[in-house]
Amino acid sequence: MDPFKNRRWVIILIIISVGIIFSFRLLYIQIINNEWSERAEKISLSSENLQPPRGFIYDRNNNLLVGAATLYDLYILPIAIRKKDTNLICDLFKLSKAEFEEILYEASSGYNVPYKASVFISSITQLEHAKISPFIGQIPAIFAKSKVDRGYPLPIASHLLGYIRRIDEKQYEFSRKSGDFFYSKNDFIGITGLESQYEKYLRGKRGSINYLKDFAGNKKETIDKTPAKAGNSLYVTIDTELQILGEILMSNKIGSIVAIEPSTGEILAMVSAPSYNPTLLTGKNFSNEFKILKENDSLKPLINRPVYNDKYRPGSIFKLVQALIALDEKVITPKTGFSCNKSIIGCHDHESPSSLLKAIKHSCNPYFFQVYKRIIMKNSKGNIFQASREGLQNWENKVKLFGFGSPLGIDLPEEKSGFIPNVKFYDQWYGEKRWAFSTIYSNSIGEGEIGVSPIQMANLAAIIANKGFYYTPHIIKKIEDKELKKKFQTKHFTNISEDNFNIIINAMNEVVNNGTGRNARIDSIEVCGKTGTVENKNFNDHSVFISFAPRNEPKIAIAVYVEYGTWGSKWAAPIAGLMMEKYIKGRLSEKSTNKVRRIQEAIILDKNTKF
Amino acid sequence: MKNRNLSIWKNIDKPLILLYFVLSVMGYLIMYSSSFKGGELPHFFFNTIYGKQLIWIILTILMGLFALIIDGNFIKNSSYYLYGFVLILLIVVLFMPPIKGARSWFYFSGFSFQPSEFIKLGLSLAIAKLLSDVGSKFKDFKTKLKAFLLIMIPSILIAFQPDPGTMLVFSCFIFVLYREGLSGNFLLIALFTILIAIVGIFLKASNSIFYIGQFPLSGNLFFGFLLIIGFVFSFLIIRYFVLPRYRKQKIRSLIFISILGLSISGGINVVYDSIFKERHRTRFQIMFGIKEDRKGAGYNIYQALSAIGSGESFGKGFLKGTLSNDKYKHVPEQNTDFIFCVLAEEWGFIGSLFFIILYLATLIRIITISERQRSKFTRIYGYCISSILFFHFMINIAMVIGLAPVIGIPLPFFSKGGSAILSFGLMIFLLLRLDAERKVVLR
Repeated sequence: MDPFKNRRWVIILIIISVGIIFSFRLLYIQIINNEWSERAEKISLSSENLQPPRGFIYDRNNNLLVGAATLYDLYILPIAIRKKDTNLICDLFKLSKAEFEEILYEASSGYNVPYKASVFISSITQLEHAKISPFIGQIPAIFAKSKVDRGYPLPIASHLLGYIRRIDEKQYEFSRKSGDFFYSKNDFIGITGLESQYEKYLRGKRGSINYLKDFAGNKKETIDKTPAKAGNSLYVTIDTELQILGEILMSNKIGSIVAIEPSTGEILAMVSAPSYNPTLLTGKNFSNEFKILKENDSLKPLINRPVYNDKYRPGSIFKLVQALIALDEKVITPKTGFSCNKSIIGCHDHESPSSLLKAIKHSCNPYFFQVYKRIIMKNSKGNIFQASREGLQNWENKVKLFGFGSPLGIDLPEEKSGFIPNVKFYDQWYGEKRWAFSTIYSNSIGEGEIGVSPIQMANLAAIIANKGFYYTPHIIKKIEDKELKKKFQTKHFTNISEDNFNIIINAMNEVVNNGTGRNARIDSIEVCGKTGTVENKNFNDHSVFISFAPRNEPKIAIAVYVEYGTWGSKWAAPIAGLMMEKYIKGRLSEKSTNKVRRIQEAIILDKNTKF
Repeated sequence: MKNRNLSIWKNIDKPLILLYFVLSVMGYLIMYSSSFKGGELPHFFFNTIYGKQLIWIILTILMGLFALIIDGNFIKNSSYYLYGFVLILLIVVLFMPPIKGARSWFYFSGFSFQPSEFIKLGLSLAIAKLLSDVGSKFKDFKTKLKAFLLIMIPSILIAFQPDPGTMLVFSCFIFVLYREGLSGNFLLIALFTILIAIVGIFLKASNSIFYIGQFPLSGNLFFGFLLIIGFVFSFLIIRYFVLPRYRKQKIRSLIFISILGLSISGGINVVYDSIFKERHRTRFQIMFGIKEDRKGAGYNIYQALSAIGSGESFGKGFLKGTLSNDKYKHVPEQNTDFIFCVLAEEWGFIGSLFFIILYLATLIRIITISERQRSKFTRIYGYCISSILFFHFMINIAMVIGLAPVIGIPLPFFSKGGSAILSFGLMIFLLLRLDAERKVVLR
């Protein structure tokens, strides 16, 4: 009847074949091939690092030195920009159309994609944020995210504390290579000072959050979360009040102060002048300020002089080391006397150095020329070249036990070694057996080739205060609950007898009471010290003073170095005296307070300042 | 009259009702999930996308129940009027403001109405009416021309909107015409054309170069070359193996097919180079897997396939999708053209397979119903809606699973859009009504 009735089978067949093709295709996509579900994970899953808050830094009395400040980053989401927003944004941030286009371009190219927000202005302060927040509320394409930066309650100890900065490519690659995967490219890392030294404690432990995102990258649902662990706080040995006084005293000067507690090696204050306000190196102004400090300031305020500047000649304070070695070598006795023969080496007028005590008290140069000669030429039998070699070798070994010529191992980065000239050095300079004592005698009074860092000078004061040993100077007191490292609890001995130290201490006491160091005297406290005046040929001499007090059971040992400050007694001695008074007594007398003001007002930045 | 109305319930096709019901419920659940943003239900449920969809479904069922009491004759007799009425709407809609670049919608107070969805119903009725009329024989050229015109007029109007997806659906009537006596050669030619077109576009898109000896030939020239060799080879076969009396006829069709093949492949060359825009070319290149453009033209399909693939065997569960629903929206157009992604992601391969079987069952059920009719009108009408649904299903799913280039076309009973829900629903209800009369009417 209907000739085409069977054609339905053709149609049904076509329909079924399409169904079968689809089924196999779906079987392939959904079950056989995992590629698409893996891609789906990439599309829908995302994870975010949770930044741990950085540990704080407290001083020895639990006063906060480094805390936190809240800053804001402004983000822009290019796809959410409406037409009218362009003008609003340009007005708000005082941008030209072209600059705005540039920002948009950057937010949409490279690593950035238009449907993801990216930072376009970073690290504005809370105050700046408060000003613009009502306006950015009207622009959905822009929002602010708060973040925590370093905050400094007091503008002190910048060198010691150091600063943090966004990790650069080199550091990033380096940390990756050394198996440390903590950092992402936007992270901050400690660059100098304690921030760098204790980076691993301060930075804490990163957390992470895995979440499902929508097409625009917005976080929609959290899958799992590991919270971040805050960094450990550091407790340091610094005494804030002493540090403040030190920075006041060193204002408008170039140089260092280092104060150590001899009985522990803890650093009580470490001043590097000129200094800078640590707040400058935070937030959005970092790069500008850094550039100014690094490149535009001839006084190089970023350098941490106490550990980094090891080219300082110690001057007369080195006579103490010479005397101790000579006593130990038994080439002199306390009663040994020499004449102050100014034809050998220059000196000032003073009573005859008829004993070691008098020689130290008046810092007699010819006397120590002779002392050094006896140390070096102890074995005077052979030829003088050979004798000098042997003597110098022996002397170098002894000097090195005082912590000179190599880094002490303080817990600050970039500690320099200083330099104690040795046989090899003179051989290279003059040739083997072409030098003798007469070539190297300026070492006798701490001039010549000797290089010492201020921390090493302070350590010398600590050694004498301890009568023969020192603990490695350090700044860390404790890291939350972790105890101090053994390294800082080991005594380092000079192997020179206590008796010999008593002789020197006696002389140093005399220096302060009646000699060149009278400016360091403190009422009712016995102070021991030694001045140094480091000769400069065409400029003012450097003013140096090392000291400790009280004489019995010393609480503080200190070294002060004022560049171009002329005599040691002029600036370094009174500064040391005031510091010790403050630390031991807890306060300054009225007389001393006036003295502080006077010193604070003195400007010694020029190499030829007239006094 | 009353008796007849009551008898509808007895004579109505229960399997199709069930299939329609299951498809609608499943479709609504998927649609709900696709538009789900997470969180609690909003206070104004009926203002939401899925709220509106529910209104449309309820409206469809109400109108469908109304359709069940219309007299079959009335339906048949008003076919042309309905067709004409929708044609007028199709003309008027061209003067409406465009939405997303197409003038396809009437828009009033939150609801939009798309006449091109209803022309499918109108056209089905009109074709059924035309071919079933006593005295019209499909063999006549006049009838063929009329049928052709009935299809072409709305196609052209829709081309003006423009809405290429819907236009493409009209080609489904070739099945209906085939069932009613159109030469099977047309179907073969169509298949042949599609095959040559696919190969031709593939060769163009991939910029393939072949070597014959030392001569480099671009893909299409090589393809033409192969066609000619095939032609010569076939010619020789006919020359030596076919009995002389059939030879002439065979050679004639061979020549026809060869010329068709060459002209299609040549035509594609021209169209691909000068008519296609770069984005079309990219679309084909992505479809053939020659190019992967995740962020640009290939974004939709990449995201869609990822969502489907992530469903794996058993899916993530209802409302638990993480790519394709409105909460995450990694798949664009997830509640309209790409709605299948939601199903595949949340219900997995098992769900997808169930869906395909359900759809095929519905299509075959409609064909079965059509074939049992004594009324030619009902049979043709049944074939019309079966073909329409099949084309929608085929094109939409093929596109979503990456077997066809991206063509905007809804998935019946699933995609968001009231007009489509109503139109496809009424198609089914009218068939149910006409089928229920099969024993009563003898035409």
